[in-house]
Amino acid sequence: LPCLSYSGGTGALAQWILVELQGEVEPRQSRSLAGSLLGDLHYTCEGIPVLIVGHHILYGKVVQLEKPFAVLVKQGGAPQPSPGEPQGHYTVTALIKTKLLFKTRPKPIITHVPRKV
Amino acid sequence: AAMSERSRAEVDATLQTAKLNPAELLPAVHCLSFGPQASAGECCLLQLEPGLCAELEAGRSLVIRGEKDEKAVLCSKDKTYDMKIADTSNMLLFIPGCKTPEQLNADAASCNIIHSQIAGFSNNYWELRRCRPKLKKLRKLLMEDPYEGPNSQKDQTLTFSKYTTEDLLSLIQASEEEILYQLQVIDACKIEGYWRVLEFNYEMKLLDHVTQLIDSESWSLNKVPLRTCLEELGPLEPREMIEHILLSYGRKYVDDAGEVYFEMREDKICRAIAQMLLQNAVKFNLSEFQEVWQQSVPEGMTTRLDQLKGLALVDKSSRPETIFLLKVEDLPEDNQERFNSLFSIREKWTEVDITPYIQDLCAEKQTVGALLTKYARSSMLNGVKVYNSRRPIS
Repeated sequence: LPCLSYSGGTGALAQWILVELQGEVEPRQSRSLAGSLLGDLHYTCEGIPVLIVGHHILYGKVVQLEKPFAVLVKQGGAPQPSPGEPQGHYTVTALIKTKLLFKTRPKPIITHVPRKV
Repeated sequence: AAMSERSRAEVDATLQTAKLNPAELLPAVHCLSFGPQASAGECCLLQLEPGLCAELEAGRSLVIRGEKDEKAVLCSKDKTYDMKIADTSNMLLFIPGCKTPEQLNADAASCNIIHSQIAGFSNNYWELRRCRPKLKKLRKLLMEDPYEGPNSQKDQTLTFSKYTTEDLLSLIQASEEEILYQLQVIDACKIEGYWRVLEFNYEMKLLDHVTQLIDSESWSLNKVPLRTCLEELGPLEPREMIEHILLSYGRKYVDDAGEVYFEMREDKICRAIAQMLLQNAVKFNLSEFQEVWQQSVPEGMTTRLDQLKGLALVDKSSRPETIFLLKVEDLPEDNQERFNSLFSIREKWTEVDITPYIQDLCAEKQTVGALLTKYARSSMLNGVKVYNSRRPIS
């Protein structure tokens, strides 16, 4: 029976965060994304998220989602549910109630030779 | 070899290169990297309608229902939703263990560096929209093998067309509460663990036993005693069936002495008897029908044409006027198909005539008027507003 449920486990459903970026995410080198760094996420003292990705600085804002998301993981390691077939067994892994929205155009970082520490 | 994690020194060097002042930032930094399964595409996002989030947090399940030829729906305990993919031009990354500024400020002892792994990313998500439960299939399944009484030969042999509650839950695209409610509406009953509807003639036979008994005992239609019905009719029919017919066609109550009585439902009984009469021919002379109908109902009951809404249609344009059976439950479930079907039966409808045949299509806050505006075109005929199809009907 195709089912979405939070199946037991200890404690409450995990809360994750969504980061929304413009454009696409691509690996810097040709190797796969897994394990590679995206960037550093800071917050200003006023709570504004600042993301440093490669040679860019992105400023964003914290948004409480009117409609939270559930993160579904398909059981059995099958590929992502396609629009035609959402049937299957899913587990709700986490809820997302907050997103960090980066909509401003990235500011490029002008670098000189990076300083070795 | 595992990739070494960024150090505080590296983070600070990046801040310096970016010309950001650490004094203006909270001390903690999240170093975001892609987790090992991030590109695998095993995770996806489902946008939750109000109430569903609370249901999940309370430990309740949501279920996706639909067979291969059906568009999938999502069901909570009591509601049904259509599912649709929504695309976004942005990239959505979902990150466990990532904290908001509030959480960082609240937790004074939070680490200076938080290494967060991105679990997955997507540029689309599932969107939900509340929809009508798809219940026509329920009646269709139960009508595969209607119950014809204990003496019927059929029941001994056929077992594959019978459905338990669990069977129905896996086949019907509706929530459990919506399914159970509809079973009540169609007067289904559980026989040996299976949900059954009564075959119409058997149902009328049971009803006839009861109405004849009411007549011979001279009971008030509002005070039909369960106990006596079971005693008198028990030899003729199973007790469960006697009680079932009383529950279907009456309102149960208990008096001060604890005795169970039924207040018989005049409208429902008259309607059933009309169906019994009308099903025998394509159409009837209206005035002849009305006469026979009134004579056929129990003493003390009065027949009225408005009892037949959604069951029969009067043709006022024919001479003499006629009436014929048209059951709303026999019509298509899809909005456009329903209207096509109605307009092929009759070209122009008044709002009064068409309402019983489209009422069930109304979504949560939708009116019949809104449906008519969307699916029909109006015009005036002899001073009366009528509706016809928006497009030519073949």
